[in-house]
Amino acid sequence: MAIRELKVCLLGDTGVGKSSIVCRFVQDHFDHNISPTIGASFLTKTVPSGNELHKFLIWDTAGQERFHSLAPMYYRGSAAAVIVYDITKLDSFQTLKKWVKELKEHGPEDIVVAIAGNKNDLGDIREVPMKEAKEFAESIAAIFIETSARNAVNVEELFQKISKQIPPLENPEVDSNDSFKLTRQPAPSTRRCC
Amino acid sequence: MLGLDSFNIDSVVIHTISIFFSGVCLQSPCSLLFEPVTLQPCLPSEFDVVILGTGLAESVVAAAFSRVGQRVLHVDRRSYYAANWASFTFNGLLTWIQQHHEESQPEEAQDWSSLLEEGEELIYLSNSKSESDSISNVQVFSFTSEEEEEEEAPSPDPPSIAEEQTGGAEEDAVKENSETESADSKEDDTKEKSEATADGDDEEQASQTEGEEPEADQPTTSAAQSQSEPIKKKISYPQLLKEGRRFNIDLVSKLMYSRGSLVDLLIKSNVSRYAEFKNVTRILTYRHGKVQQVPCSRADVFASRQLSVVEKRKLMRFLTSCMEETEEQQAYNGRPYLEFLCDQQLGDNLQDFLLHSIAMVTEDTPTEEGLTSTRHFLRCLGRYGNTPFLFPVYGLGEIPQCFCRMCAVFGGIYCLRHSVNCLVMDKETNRCKAVIDSRGQRISCSHFVVEEGYVGADRKQMATPTRSLSRAVLITDGSILPSDSDQQVSMVTVPPIAAGCPAVKMVELCSSTMTCMPGTYLVHLTCQSVGSAYEDLSPVVTRMFHTPESHDQENCPSVLWCLYFNMADGSGLEAEGHNLPSNVYMCSGPDGGLGHEHAIKQAESIFQKILPEEDFCPPAPNPEDIIYDGDNTSSAMGGEEEEKEETEDKQEKEEKEDKQEEKEETEDKQEEEEKDGAGEMEKEEEQTLQTEE
Repeated sequence: MAIRELKVCLLGDTGVGKSSIVCRFVQDHFDHNISPTIGASFLTKTVPSGNELHKFLIWDTAGQERFHSLAPMYYRGSAAAVIVYDITKLDSFQTLKKWVKELKEHGPEDIVVAIAGNKNDLGDIREVPMKEAKEFAESIAAIFIETSARNAVNVEELFQKISKQIPPLENPEVDSNDSFKLTRQPAPSTRRCC
Repeated sequence: MLGLDSFNIDSVVIHTISIFFSGVCLQSPCSLLFEPVTLQPCLPSEFDVVILGTGLAESVVAAAFSRVGQRVLHVDRRSYYAANWASFTFNGLLTWIQQHHEESQPEEAQDWSSLLEEGEELIYLSNSKSESDSISNVQVFSFTSEEEEEEEAPSPDPPSIAEEQTGGAEEDAVKENSETESADSKEDDTKEKSEATADGDDEEQASQTEGEEPEADQPTTSAAQSQSEPIKKKISYPQLLKEGRRFNIDLVSKLMYSRGSLVDLLIKSNVSRYAEFKNVTRILTYRHGKVQQVPCSRADVFASRQLSVVEKRKLMRFLTSCMEETEEQQAYNGRPYLEFLCDQQLGDNLQDFLLHSIAMVTEDTPTEEGLTSTRHFLRCLGRYGNTPFLFPVYGLGEIPQCFCRMCAVFGGIYCLRHSVNCLVMDKETNRCKAVIDSRGQRISCSHFVVEEGYVGADRKQMATPTRSLSRAVLITDGSILPSDSDQQVSMVTVPPIAAGCPAVKMVELCSSTMTCMPGTYLVHLTCQSVGSAYEDLSPVVTRMFHTPESHDQENCPSVLWCLYFNMADGSGLEAEGHNLPSNVYMCSGPDGGLGHEHAIKQAESIFQKILPEEDFCPPAPNPEDIIYDGDNTSSAMGGEEEEKEETEDKQEKEEKEDKQEEKEETEDKQEEEEKDGAGEMEKEEEQTLQTEE
């Protein structure tokens, strides 16, 4: 099966549980006091999808969202974006629109957008009605799901839904443009030079 | 994509630690962890290093400190990253231009002395809105039509009339030009001006379209290949605006030497994983009024049609022999490289190629310097492609952002639209103890790194006279040398077109570099300033492109839009020795060199002065190697907050130890690898060189 690398970037206010969602998805682990972005450029997890393997490269904001200082490079080449809000914090839902706008401005055009209402385990102090969020997601043609990173609810499902929405690779030959990553070993060069 | 890093380090254990945001904030009591952004949480009040400005050198310094566990605060008063190294969308660039036409607001000198303790003194920084010091002579010309969709050219006017009109346009342009110049001093609305420019060009545009023979005259090679429609549609100004986000227009124009210090650092630190690159596909030069390809790789030399067999042999022999230092070369030390080349009996063709396009030096450059840069060029060939150069996809502005991300990933805190107003200096020790930020918060730090633009001229020790760079940015509708592929990335050297004129470096980028919209090319011109950017560069533009000012250039690509400006040359500024506290370090802005050596060297030297024992940007762990060491106890609920605080210190200590170990291991490994790698490469090259003989 062919492995396809898909960059997914996370967005949303500080404290809504972006890192917890990644941590639950990748490590199946939850910690109250996490700051797992320390030292991790991005986290990876490979899941099967149809006759492909999707290797998600999940980029966290590394705290750069706190003072609204995300760099445009953060969005480059993303196949999908997950915008997270906290169902117990109305503010975090209201700023969702700002993140959508930011994504429209800086993100790739054909990006798959998913909206995740996190902390669904704290339903008793809910401030954001599910219906409202769902309607908003529909209005921007985004995936919508409520998750709980703490109780491992719907986290896998979130990424499965993203996987399904990723358009199949049309023609790998055409798609592969000749840009490359720098590596420690020289790229194989076909011609020898003087 | 050519595979991910092959370099592995042992698995790294990262403990989950609580970040320093839980520290006490003195300014105003606010809960830090779950603060909605609208209320702007305050910053922690203590850091190891505070860095002001997000240019390349500052960003590398930030990444380096954060990587070895220093607490870094990185701020920039602008709303975007990378300062004068930034790249903009088309619309973003228009905003930037407008800002540089606006009168700078006189600074409100607030008195922060109430925040001082005994024995302290304030040093005010310069935070004026416009970077009038580093950017000047901004001039914009738009040669596109204002209409949304341009239909086929109407009634065919005779070309002669079109030319006359074009002549008139030249005057217009010149007039506007002088207007624009005066605009800097007068209060003048730029928006109006650029509109005026566009309006004025409206008619010219129409005539241009008519006058131009669509494609028919183009050298047959490829011109039509990419266009299915027979008549090329002119791109209109509204289209540029609409597709504006497809542009990533750099303020500086540089290339990355494939064996230069930036590429080495990107690889060493693993920051390279944040970006992708493209090869510069060809080296061109402008000779005798024509654009020619410079043969530089073995394949090029043999394929070249412009070189005779004798020339080919001579060139190969020269390139092989100059790799090693000989007594013959030493005899020319101190004498011009040109003289050395002359005496090699290479002929004018080869001599020009070698001097202007390979060594990229001037006629007066001494031989040893010319040889050094020739060797550097040759060493960089073949690592990634057939030219020595790489260019980052989405533009050079990505590079500082990549280093900033590395800093953030290791805990650095980022805050744009935020500045430092003044430094708190301890009079006795002459050290900066703290800074006062733009919101009046006192933040203590052990070191302060600042971009030169924030430091007033009275405190700087500058090399006099100050030098500056002339820059031009063009959006064109075709390549200056059409070929089989319309996706070439070209480095073009333009030797002085007349005595006293500067040599111009030009880079032509195609749309697959993600710096311009499909169907256009982005052309950057750079030279050391003699006059204003317009004076220095417009003669070259007029000769090589079709503009309303140029005559009989119908076969050249048309300029749709262009921008001229001057930028201060950062190469004359030292990091230390200024009238500043001893623990304050200054980073200079972009220099005129083609590579990034200056900024990287500066960043490394600042880092080593502050932390001489630490490794500079050791590799960040690979994502696959990170193992979370969470004791699963924490997944249970409640009642463990206290417990956590106790264990926190312990964990932090452990983590430090781990990091230390990890670093030592990776250092050794890396050194070995690097040695091996370098050795092999050199050998391989030598062999290839020798087999030729």
